[in-house]
Amino acid sequence: MNVQPDLDFIKHLKGAGGDALKKCYQCATCSVRCPLSSDDNPFPRKEMIWSSWGMKDKLVADPDVYLCHNCGDCTTYCPRGAKPSEVLGAIRSYAYTMYGWPAGLAKLATSAKNLPVLIGIPVVVIFVMWLISGGMHIPSREEFGTYGYQHFFGHWEFKWYAKNIFFIVLIMASSLAIAGFSLYKGVTKMWKTMSDNADIGSAYRPSVIQFVSQFLWPSLVEIVKHNRFKECTTNTDRVRGHLPLMLAFIGLAIVTTYSLVKNDIVGLFWPAAHGPMYFFDPFKILANVSAIALLFGIYVLWVSRTKTEAAGESSRTFYDWFLIWQIAAVGVTGLGSELLRWLSLPAVGYIVYFCHLVAVMMLFLYLPYTKFAHIAYRTVAMAFEKYRDSSFGKPAVEQ
Amino acid sequence: MTDEQGTSGAILVVGGGISGLTAALEAAEVGNDVFLIDRNPSFGGRVAQLNEYFPKMCPPSCGLEINYKRIKNNRKIRTYTMASVSSVSGGPGNYEVSVEVAPRYVNSNCTACGDCAAACPDEIDNEFNFGMDKCKAAYLPHEMAFPRRYVIAKDALSAEGGEAVKASCKYDAVDLDMKSETITLHVDSIVWATGWQPYAPEKMDNLNFGKSDAIVTNMMVERMAAPNGPTGGKIVIPGSDKEIESIGFVQCAGSRDETHLEYCSHICCTATFKQMNYIREQYPEAKIYVFYIDLRTPGKYDKFREKLMADENAEFIKGKVADIEVQGDGVTVIAEDAVSGAKVQQKVDLAVLATGMQPSIAESGAPAGVNLDNNGFVLSDYANGIIGAGCAKKASDVVTTTQSSTAAALKAIQVSRR
Repeated sequence: MNVQPDLDFIKHLKGAGGDALKKCYQCATCSVRCPLSSDDNPFPRKEMIWSSWGMKDKLVADPDVYLCHNCGDCTTYCPRGAKPSEVLGAIRSYAYTMYGWPAGLAKLATSAKNLPVLIGIPVVVIFVMWLISGGMHIPSREEFGTYGYQHFFGHWEFKWYAKNIFFIVLIMASSLAIAGFSLYKGVTKMWKTMSDNADIGSAYRPSVIQFVSQFLWPSLVEIVKHNRFKECTTNTDRVRGHLPLMLAFIGLAIVTTYSLVKNDIVGLFWPAAHGPMYFFDPFKILANVSAIALLFGIYVLWVSRTKTEAAGESSRTFYDWFLIWQIAAVGVTGLGSELLRWLSLPAVGYIVYFCHLVAVMMLFLYLPYTKFAHIAYRTVAMAFEKYRDSSFGKPAVEQ
Repeated sequence: MTDEQGTSGAILVVGGGISGLTAALEAAEVGNDVFLIDRNPSFGGRVAQLNEYFPKMCPPSCGLEINYKRIKNNRKIRTYTMASVSSVSGGPGNYEVSVEVAPRYVNSNCTACGDCAAACPDEIDNEFNFGMDKCKAAYLPHEMAFPRRYVIAKDALSAEGGEAVKASCKYDAVDLDMKSETITLHVDSIVWATGWQPYAPEKMDNLNFGKSDAIVTNMMVERMAAPNGPTGGKIVIPGSDKEIESIGFVQCAGSRDETHLEYCSHICCTATFKQMNYIREQYPEAKIYVFYIDLRTPGKYDKFREKLMADENAEFIKGKVADIEVQGDGVTVIAEDAVSGAKVQQKVDLAVLATGMQPSIAESGAPAGVNLDNNGFVLSDYANGIIGAGCAKKASDVVTTTQSSTAAALKAIQVSRR
């Protein structure tokens, strides 16, 4: 085998938390300690040697890299302090940037130096939208009390499509669309390379229904239940943080959908459906519970990360912290906006709401390039693992 | 010139294993006075516990007995057992060393007739055999003990046990009122030959030592293989004494590991090859599995390695054992075979942890003036006549140890002839 080491890739890994990578002497303790590693295809020992050799093409299409939940059991038992869990995290961060589209935006989201631009883009977009919407003013207390933030981008008489919704959809749906397209591109490319590497021919391919029911759905169930996360024995705090956080996102997605349906579909025929939800509306309760779960979850993860960094088990990287900051910002500004509405403080309320929109747009727009991308890549890797082990993954029988 | 203790240019050798014995004899045989002390009731150290030792696979009696004879015949050496250094003051050429001698409860009248042990009703874990069997609370440390004198574990002795032991002795050698005493030695230089201890296997929580009788250490295998050991020379599962059909050697158990011993212990790979020989002699058909990171046979042992690696019933797996599962009979050792890239879960009747060498002085602590490195090995200070020797200085085999002890003796002599 002729290995062409990619030195830039090795340098990237060393800078992104894998600084101790070269200490590895391949004893394979990590593969045995890892509770998620399978018997036939254990990891992360092989990933450590591939990283050392700079074999990035193999790594970015290695499902095991994404199946790793970064619990750190391997790092705890590593006799050399080579921190395999950190190396795998660094590979993932590299892969998200590499698969990311457009490349410029992906690159931008990799460094704290670019934070002014990363925050600047949504600030400018939303500010300009606010400006051209004509809704740019601080409302009276009365107006604020009735409509809350629903007239942020103003109001027009065309009842079939509210002005506020028009702008919010324009901003957020476009951000999500870019992210979705980028993720789709990345994930399909990864899937193809993974199939090639696993030597899976295309003689028999699952239908969409088979794919969803046999591979994707079981993976989603596993994710929601946190089965794999719970296998971790060292960093157990992370399940305590990640589970409420994930449920909060699901809860908030449900509330957003409900709110959209209530305001903009039912509201068309029944004007009373407009306006903020009552406090005791079950969806409002779900929204508030989710918001608190989100803040609690991110707090736990924040503290846990600080702790492992202080103990030297993980290194402080922008990749890890950017997502924590983003989610914390979304939670704080979101809940803040609500509290300020109750307190009838329109001026501060509008400013905080503006920040909330900025935080949400950042979360959406940079999703494919930040740690948040694991939502797609890990899910797909889990589905691939099931696909590879199914009868579709076996070589066709020669007749 | 002789001082008040009747010596000139005396050297203190701390530790009476193969290394300390060698240093003491080399120095005494060129004319220096030597004090040789050991904290155990008998000299001989770790070598005495082995079944066979490198390079010639001799039983320990072979090398140790001749050294004991040389000591007995050499009037320049004074020996103290159950003695340890409590403080060192002064400088090269005039060190004053306080040595605490623990009570043996048996005086020099003892003829090692064994009547006290026969009469003693109380038993203790036999430390010499790593607790694999019991011995009486009045005991001879081991068959080949030197000095050949019994010792009493007074804490384990019951009131009637004390009476029985006292009454049994025809020579009035039992003295249960013996107190510990402190003696002061004036010496020119000090050789630290405090040796090593097997790294505590309980510290590696993933290897589950102590959770099954089928998990033993390499030193326990030495004791079992030795004819004077707890099983009379038979390698079996301790406790049940069952014969084995398969055995797994777990290399680097604690060595080359930042959280345990960060250095390579130098001897465990060759020791495992040696123990493969023991197994083959007793079980020609047994399956042998050796799990390793790298097989290292430093020195002249490469041919030895080649011969054992040719064994058709032995399998060598490149992967460190990171988990041992205990279930019912035997244990399952788990590693990833880095060559095939798959996990290996091998059920074996006996798992042997090739535990590393930890310098004894790292645990017991060094008195002021003696510097240790990060791992607890003695850093020699030749200018000040503080000299490390043998495994107190560096993990090594017997040959290297004796060479380093001879060198240490030479350095020690030089201090008194400046």
